Amino acid sequence: MAALLRAIRAGRAFRGLCSVVVAPTSNLQHASLKRGFSCAHLRLQDESTSNKYTHSPGQDPATASQGDSAANPLADESTRGRHSYQDQGGEQDEEYETEEQVQAKILNAALEFVPQHGWTLEAMAAGAETLGLSSASTGMFDNGAGDLVLHFIAHCNSQLRETLAEQQKQVQLGQAEPKKTADFLRDAVEARLRMHIPYIETWPQAMSILLLPYNIPKSLEHLATLVDDIWYYAGDRSTDMNWYSKRAALTGIYNTTELVMLQDSSSDFQDTWNFLDNRIQDIVNMASSAKQMQSTGTAVVQGLMGAAVTLKNLTGMNQRR
Amino acid sequence: MQRTVYTVLNDWANTAVPLIARRSSKIRASLWSSRDYSVIPTPRDRTEKEMLDRMLRVDHAGEYGANRIYAGQMAVLSRSTSGTLIQEMWDQEKKHLEKFNEILAESRVRPTALLPLWNVAGYLLGASTAMLGKEVAMACTVAVEESISEHYNSQMRTLMEEDPDRYTELLKVIKEFRDDEMEHHDIGLQHDAESVPGFWLLKNVIQLGCKAAIYASQRV
Repeated sequence: MAALLRAIRAGRAFRGLCSVVVAPTSNLQHASLKRGFSCAHLRLQDESTSNKYTHSPGQDPATASQGDSAANPLADESTRGRHSYQDQGGEQDEEYETEEQVQAKILNAALEFVPQHGWTLEAMAAGAETLGLSSASTGMFDNGAGDLVLHFIAHCNSQLRETLAEQQKQVQLGQAEPKKTADFLRDAVEARLRMHIPYIETWPQAMSILLLPYNIPKSLEHLATLVDDIWYYAGDRSTDMNWYSKRAALTGIYNTTELVMLQDSSSDFQDTWNFLDNRIQDIVNMASSAKQMQSTGTAVVQGLMGAAVTLKNLTGMNQRR
Repeated sequence: MQRTVYTVLNDWANTAVPLIARRSSKIRASLWSSRDYSVIPTPRDRTEKEMLDRMLRVDHAGEYGANRIYAGQMAVLSRSTSGTLIQEMWDQEKKHLEKFNEILAESRVRPTALLPLWNVAGYLLGASTAMLGKEVAMACTVAVEESISEHYNSQMRTLMEEDPDRYTELLKVIKEFRDDEMEHHDIGLQHDAESVPGFWLLKNVIQLGCKAAIYASQRV
């Protein structure tokens, strides 16, 4: 893995240097040029000082992209990098971090190519190429296309979480009216499913990838987080079995609506949202009838107890008279 | 961007690399709780979150079970001489449960899935021991409260080892509850719990059950 990373970095540095010659035209090339320079520069620096620090901080795409806008990214990055080494004292950690961040960048870029190539390694390779990486860098992903789909889901979930948190903040500040729970759930599920619209043509493929055995644990985890987030921001604070029943109900709604959406040909998926409305209404009805049943149950039990006491009194068996 | 990166990192973060933990602590804060905490600090990484989740889940289950035991005892002994005494202890347990309900909801901890089981088992244990007489009920209280205080003590030890400053609030809550449980234990002993024939056997059987319940509630 380390060797592969090194190769990628070398390739990027080379490409960066090359684009100096062809004069950068686009923003993207500009970025990769700067990165390339910083990599080359840091590599030289590192090799001259110590071999232990071969994995230069220039690899860190987050800092690199911030550096693009900064006046002097090189100085900034190298001091920051050194600092974190001292903090860490572990080459291993640094390498892991950057690998994950590179992966996330590739996957983000790959999403653009999903409508064209589907949820495939080709899309990932195309994404990697826009970042100036070799298409062979898709070998970093043990799970292939599964990683792409899971990344997309995680991304959408965190986006939704941000929106919901924002809404909650506004309600707390009194800038927005608090919604009714049913409306809140409906809007949250709709907002989440709307994130699939750009990829709706290829979404069945993504769903089938999620159902592969080795993707199931992760996809369930993401589903659970999504449902838990929605309920949390809907104001659910239950700590009994309701916790489970509420989440189970919402999971069911989300999954069935997702399936309905795949076959929906109405404009702006109007049928899907109608379906969603009806399912939410079902749950509301079910909850209220369960409540009624419960109160009826207690009333019946109380009545029976009363009857038993009366019977006891009539037959003279009551000792506590 | 960083947020996305973090989500991808999730799995890997299990290894809890301190650097990342420090860097992304801000993101985590917004991920796991949307408001300021009162008792539980915002978890800094996945291992800490898991540790706290387990502790709170089992504590909540324990208080819930204790409540059900007292409910079972009261169903039988409410009109006897020790009714008021049991009611007092029950009221304290109700406060404990309320506090844990609050903490669980606030820090978004999943309650244990075994609650219905503890509901029935606790009630049956309370009612059946109470039917054997108020001394046996007291012996049951002694056994249960002893295991709960032992459990709280071990939690406090773990938290003290981890970082006493960080968990000051939680430690305060647990310590207060532990003292209450010890008081119930002593009340039980004062009311002739030890006079029950086979007290040692009864106590050990109940405590074995409590240990199994603690083990299961941490995990499920």
